[in-house]
Amino acid sequence: MKEFLLNIDRRIIFVFVALGVIIPALTSFNLPIKPTPNVQSIYDTIEEVGEKNGTILISFDYGPGSMPEVQPMALSVLRHCFKRNVKVVGMCLWPQGVGLAQQAFDTTSKELGAEYGNDYVFLGFKTGFHSLVINMGHDFHGTFPQDLPGNNTTELPVTQNIKGLADFDYVLCLAAGNTPDGIWIPFGQERYKFKFGLGCTAVMAPDQFPYLQSGQMNGMMGGLAGAAEYETLVQASGTATEGMRPQSVVHLIIIIFIILGNVMYFLYGRQKGGAQ
Amino acid sequence: MLFLRRTLPLIIAFVLGMIGILVFYIPHSGAQALEQELTKWDRIVAAFALVLGIYSLMRLHWNRVRRQQAGWAYSSLVFVGFTVMFIFALYNDGHGPFNPQVTESGPFVWMFDYVQVPADATMFSILAFFIASAAYRTFRARTPEAAILLVSAIIVMIGRVPIGGLISDSIPELSQWLMAVPNLAAKRGILLGVSLGIVATSLRIIFGIERSYLGGGEE
Repeated sequence: MKEFLLNIDRRIIFVFVALGVIIPALTSFNLPIKPTPNVQSIYDTIEEVGEKNGTILISFDYGPGSMPEVQPMALSVLRHCFKRNVKVVGMCLWPQGVGLAQQAFDTTSKELGAEYGNDYVFLGFKTGFHSLVINMGHDFHGTFPQDLPGNNTTELPVTQNIKGLADFDYVLCLAAGNTPDGIWIPFGQERYKFKFGLGCTAVMAPDQFPYLQSGQMNGMMGGLAGAAEYETLVQASGTATEGMRPQSVVHLIIIIFIILGNVMYFLYGRQKGGAQ
Repeated sequence: MLFLRRTLPLIIAFVLGMIGILVFYIPHSGAQALEQELTKWDRIVAAFALVLGIYSLMRLHWNRVRRQQAGWAYSSLVFVGFTVMFIFALYNDGHGPFNPQVTESGPFVWMFDYVQVPADATMFSILAFFIASAAYRTFRARTPEAAILLVSAIIVMIGRVPIGGLISDSIPELSQWLMAVPNLAAKRGILLGVSLGIVATSLRIIFGIERSYLGGGEE
């Protein structure tokens, strides 16, 4: 028995994790979600932008692999913007982001009656990463003369008065890679001094805290928990809020296995040199 | 030949590298215009690099198929996927390749929504199972440092999900403190070290000390 507990077969752990996801996903129980100050800050900034009918830029820098974590953020933020009459300009530094951003715009604009060109514009993907951001900072219309459907950005109501990145009231990066700390902050926020916020995968979140403390970033949604907090703030429960149930249970299962592994290690494993 | 293969790239790297650094510190309109021009060129070069990336990927998988290496059948799927998506992109839901890409409907969008999205999401979700198994096997408090890491990890794991708040209000607060103070200090230290390393490597490339980017091959 002690050998079994010291070296539990990985397939048994897989079964526990699978049940920990499936059962809470199929049942319905509510867990209290309390927004953290970092998420609240993004919400408050969008409220402020809404009061002056401002414009925000959202960069969809993620792909299908991180969609379950980041897409709920995109949906919640777009819902918030369209409810508060905040104009939205969307773009992508990742080519895979185009299809996901389009899905998010389609869903939320149909729900809330947002009109293309007057309420939002989607620019699509362009190559260049940092060079693209530098070009956008100086000359927005020169960098994106046309949006994704081929309209002139100088003629669309949402984009006609945007000369450079500093003209945006807020820039929000939804990311699954190094675009916030590798591109948007050093080549965008630091040079053109716009307000900057981030929604990112949970694994990226710890890396971003230095930028929060320095003020280069005014808020952050980290992982599915961050998305659930934003859904709570906009009072539109979605997949992130639902995902908190399985995530809570799976975290507990992993912690129980870690504690069990350590108890067995201290009781028996140390004499044998630890588990294999 | 040596001039084209070694001296000319070194000159280009030096001149453009120095211009890139200097224009950052010169607020004159001429310097800013030069920077704009250079970054536009960079974007054009980046677009060609995409083509080069595709060529490199295709060559790698073609060699695997040709030599029938282990897993060569999977490599052949790269060609199937690339060809299908390329044709659908050119077809552009009946609008042809010279019109703006249609992103609301059509076979390209269908393949993205119903093949790439679920396949990618599935690959990523498998990680949860491996992380659980790896955490059980490797997270052992063998030393005092490992014990501190273990306790911190458990607090953050439980504090980042709503169930942590149900157990005690202090757990999410402690989790936030761990992220915003000790984690931040360590990350900033790493960040400064990495940044200094990037500066040093960039200077080595600009001044021609680091030449590995020129590639190997015969002289």
